[in-house]
Amino acid sequence: MRAAFISALIVGLCALIAAVLALFYIAAGALGVVTGALFDKPYVGVAVANTITLLLVLVMVIASLLTVAERKWSALMQDRIGPNRARLGLPGLRDKALLGIPHFLADGIKMLTKEDFVPAHASGFLYTLAPMLAFGTAFVLFAVVPVAPTVPASEIPLVSGLAASLGVDGFFPVSLQVAPGYDPGVLFIFAFAGIAVFGTALAGWASNNRLALLGGLRGSSQMVAYEIALGMSLVGLMMIFQTLQLEVMTEGQNRGLFGGILPAWGIFLQPIGFILYFTASFAELKRPPFDAPEGESEIVGYFVEYSGMRFGLFMISEFIGTVVLGGVVSALFLGGYHLPFPPAWGVEEWLRATLGDFGLAVVLGTNFVLKVIVLCWLQLAIRWTMPRFRFDKIQSLGWKILLPAALANIAVTAVLLLADPSLELLAIVGLAEILFIVGLTALYPKKQPTSLVLPGRMMAGGTGHH
Amino acid sequence: MASTKEIKRTAEETAQLSWYQRLFVPEVIRGLAVTTRHFLRNLFGGRDPSPDFAYRKGSLGNQVATLQYPEERAPYPVGYRGTHRLVPREDGKPRCVACYMCATICPAQCIYIEAGEYEDDPIEKYPTVFVIDQLRCVVCGLCVEACPKDAIRMDTYQHTPPEYTREGFVYPIERLLKGPAVSHPSDPWLRRKDSAQPEDQHFPLHGVAEHSTEPVEPREPYPVGPNHPAPPVFTEEEVRKASGS
Repeated sequence: MRAAFISALIVGLCALIAAVLALFYIAAGALGVVTGALFDKPYVGVAVANTITLLLVLVMVIASLLTVAERKWSALMQDRIGPNRARLGLPGLRDKALLGIPHFLADGIKMLTKEDFVPAHASGFLYTLAPMLAFGTAFVLFAVVPVAPTVPASEIPLVSGLAASLGVDGFFPVSLQVAPGYDPGVLFIFAFAGIAVFGTALAGWASNNRLALLGGLRGSSQMVAYEIALGMSLVGLMMIFQTLQLEVMTEGQNRGLFGGILPAWGIFLQPIGFILYFTASFAELKRPPFDAPEGESEIVGYFVEYSGMRFGLFMISEFIGTVVLGGVVSALFLGGYHLPFPPAWGVEEWLRATLGDFGLAVVLGTNFVLKVIVLCWLQLAIRWTMPRFRFDKIQSLGWKILLPAALANIAVTAVLLLADPSLELLAIVGLAEILFIVGLTALYPKKQPTSLVLPGRMMAGGTGHH
Repeated sequence: MASTKEIKRTAEETAQLSWYQRLFVPEVIRGLAVTTRHFLRNLFGGRDPSPDFAYRKGSLGNQVATLQYPEERAPYPVGYRGTHRLVPREDGKPRCVACYMCATICPAQCIYIEAGEYEDDPIEKYPTVFVIDQLRCVVCGLCVEACPKDAIRMDTYQHTPPEYTREGFVYPIERLLKGPAVSHPSDPWLRRKDSAQPEDQHFPLHGVAEHSTEPVEPREPYPVGPNHPAPPVFTEEEVRKASGS
């Protein structure tokens, strides 16, 4: 009963995402036609529409729902129910928990209406600037993430008619990406992720509070330690696809290896790179288990002096970072918006023949958003699985393990690429690595709960029974 | 004791990570598998809303043991000492004969009684005022034990509800006289040759256990569930090994 309800909910969610993405396409196409008619530059309208729909609607909605999801999902992982007490006082909804979503509305109202407090000795301008930096830089990263493929505007329903009535050429490309064809691509992500730490450091310094300063310092040193590994872990992918643009990498991953049996996904070619990038991004996001800059039980955090929506910006920027990481990882390593089927099966060609270009684009976009949601879930699952790292362990993991491993990964990838430019050797090595990790996980005997043995009496360990 | 050395080594070994654990990634994946299993079970599995939450059916899949308190209330165990009630007779008058036994034995001195007299009743005395201050009450149940007439009971299975004023916790006789009526064959107003013991609807075990020779069926042992694992059974060898003898 409950399983059927949840499954129906998930299917409904997919349909909702598809409908929303179709609307996004139509909005982008229509605005493109309008700007094309006004000053002959349709890409301006497409970019403006995508900025609003993708950044302000898609990313913001997913990020703010993640605030509820974090509590609800962590509850499910810990055998609890989670927040369900906030109710909407509307007729018919009074007794409905609505999956805890009213909690997020209540949180928003609380954040916005709380006192906006500035400590007397805080450095006013920087104190105000810090949350903006944290929020804006996390936000802008999504500009280079391709959500759905390029479609000619004439293929989009309603838009072609509009173009004809306004007398505009309807063959300009429309894709759900804010900045398509932007050459720096991945470097743009590194650059703005690097600026994000200014938010943390400035918040710590401008608050004029020792605990906040400590948090800011920890944030900056963590950033320095992981930024290099972060960049190095993607060099392999850059060499493989010979580009920095995410949409080109996405298209490159649609290629079939071994006669189309295996899609050339980044995770198959660069499993070590995937693990390194995921880990380093976690540390960059300051998400647990790398949450040394904030520690409720010790230094509170770099945002200790912030209240109301200023704190809310720090919090939401963390969740936006989660969404962006999900988007980037799925674009780089999980085939982007391409369906998880071997190219030899021809699923996408069949869909194109059945649904047309626009239908295929919507399906692929839905696929991408679902991948992002699953990756967000994975990040939260890791956060609720792992204990927190000690600060010196964070540093030694970054400098002594991730960085050498990333360098070794670059060297090995380069050699394999030189030996076999068709990527098949790389895929064999990558699959062997995956097989090694999976086999080790499955086969190594579980460590049994240990009992501490003392002479003369027995203390049972593990089960809690004596 | 030859085992001291072995014990030390065991403790050191438990503190150290094996090479496999140092690889970290497989252990993270294993941890994720545990988290994911719980997540999926609790997401898709039906929840047994039985208020007896410790013995919920885990077979539906859901492992959540949360009690949604105001809507789901855990049943109190049999014999729970709830708030008092003055037991009524069949005719609605209190069984109490205002003997002051309960007020005398009460260690918290929370019972206050004033006695009146019936003109036409085999029981002459009755309480005109019977007050229990629930804030003073220590819920020891001595009043129930002391009562010679089975006139005060704590079988309401309710705890004292909250009040806005202190005065609200001082329960007058109107508030105490409630629940099902109770009669005993020995009651003077019922003493007839053919009188049988009437059934106590509210507490069916009462009469059976105290006044009958019929055996009472014991409560069934609870099943072993996700929240009540079976206690571990140690073999003799394991005990010997663990105790180092």
